[in-house]
Amino acid sequence: MIPRPQALIAEITHRCPLHCVYCSNPLAMQPRSGEMPADIWARVFREAAELGVLHVHLTGGEPLLHPELQELVRAGRAANLYVNLITSGIGLNEQRLDALIDAGLDHLQLSFQDSEEAPANEIAGARAHARKLALAEILRARRIGFTLNAVVHRQNLDRLDAIVAMAERLGVDRLEIANVQYYGWAIENREKLMPTRRQLDACVAAVRAHQERLKGRMRIDFVPPDYYARYPKACMGGWGQSLLLIDPAGFVLPCHAAGVIPDLIFDNVQSRLLRWIWEESGAFQRFRGEDWMPDPCRTCDRRQEDFGGCRCQAMLLTGNAGATDPVCSLAPGRQLVDAVIERANAAPLNAPAWVYRIDPA
Amino acid sequence: MTASNIPRLARGCRLSEDPAQGWVLLIPEGVLRLSGPGPHILQRCDGARNFAGIVRELGVAFAAPDLALVESETAAFLDRLVARRIVVLE
Repeated sequence: MIPRPQALIAEITHRCPLHCVYCSNPLAMQPRSGEMPADIWARVFREAAELGVLHVHLTGGEPLLHPELQELVRAGRAANLYVNLITSGIGLNEQRLDALIDAGLDHLQLSFQDSEEAPANEIAGARAHARKLALAEILRARRIGFTLNAVVHRQNLDRLDAIVAMAERLGVDRLEIANVQYYGWAIENREKLMPTRRQLDACVAAVRAHQERLKGRMRIDFVPPDYYARYPKACMGGWGQSLLLIDPAGFVLPCHAAGVIPDLIFDNVQSRLLRWIWEESGAFQRFRGEDWMPDPCRTCDRRQEDFGGCRCQAMLLTGNAGATDPVCSLAPGRQLVDAVIERANAAPLNAPAWVYRIDPA
Repeated sequence: MTASNIPRLARGCRLSEDPAQGWVLLIPEGVLRLSGPGPHILQRCDGARNFAGIVRELGVAFAAPDLALVESETAAFLDRLVARRIVVLE
């Protein structure tokens, strides 16, 4: 029985005015010339809704750079989807925001790099922080949902309390505190981003305290750094189980990072129906269910909880996408993760220079 | 939940009827699948009706013999959503 996807991540452009050192976009990005226009996206949204999708997350790159963003919002809402815009806010003024809300935008997720301006701009590789603050003030009075997303890591975890205070001051409904996940550009900067054990323990305790204190006022969702975990994350709720991602050129992937797996062929919504891609394409079948699982996953009691962890992480760290996620303490590859953690805890807090995300052609 | 509380869906939360999946409450990063009286309660959480009025209307709509039971179950349902900031009180 093939499950129903619940959410569609629509990467409508890979272009971005920011250059964040942990960007989740692939290292090889789609150029502007390949970006799909709104009429194709509108058809894809209808196909997705028929498949069971309820949420569309418009993201990028910076989705505000897509010339037809307003039409995309309208098309998502017309397909009866919940429309979320994941944005840096750069390029969004009051007038454009109101036009997007009128088009049916349900929710906006604004990313922050830090609570302090200088380190925030350093991570983004752009002078963005002050503009984000100004936009957040405008959002406070709008009727759409507002999530502040703060990516945390070695360089800003010691300011976690200040980040929470910033979110409170800005009147957000929901705060997402997400530790960096090591894919895309983040793996290029892993040594500078990996938290220490002390930082992690302090962060977990602080998040719990803030969640308790703010209950009913602001919801805090937390993404822990999985290298420190005992068992792997249930990545994407399982391969091809509840989520699909479409890149700017229309290629359909099971997640942000799946492009790192060399033997997968991704089909395109411009030549195939989305239902066929979801149900039958090789890329979505490859790790769906349990048949692909190696030992120790195939007999593990947790295999229906974490699905063997993340295929892309297995690929990036062991060179084999079909291996147990090396984050798992039962995985033959766990020593690869332990070695990274050990280095992170031994090294002084400042390592080599950042590798900044570049823009596609 | 008290009689004069005026509940409404928090911003970013929306009730929707999907042709294949029935009534769903769409929230940021999630979905609550509603059954039974859930959608009937939330349709009335419009920021105008107060809790007492909502309970009265539900009692009529469901021809409920025991209004106290409607009140306690509706309060429990809404209190859970208030704690998750899906419903807010005016």
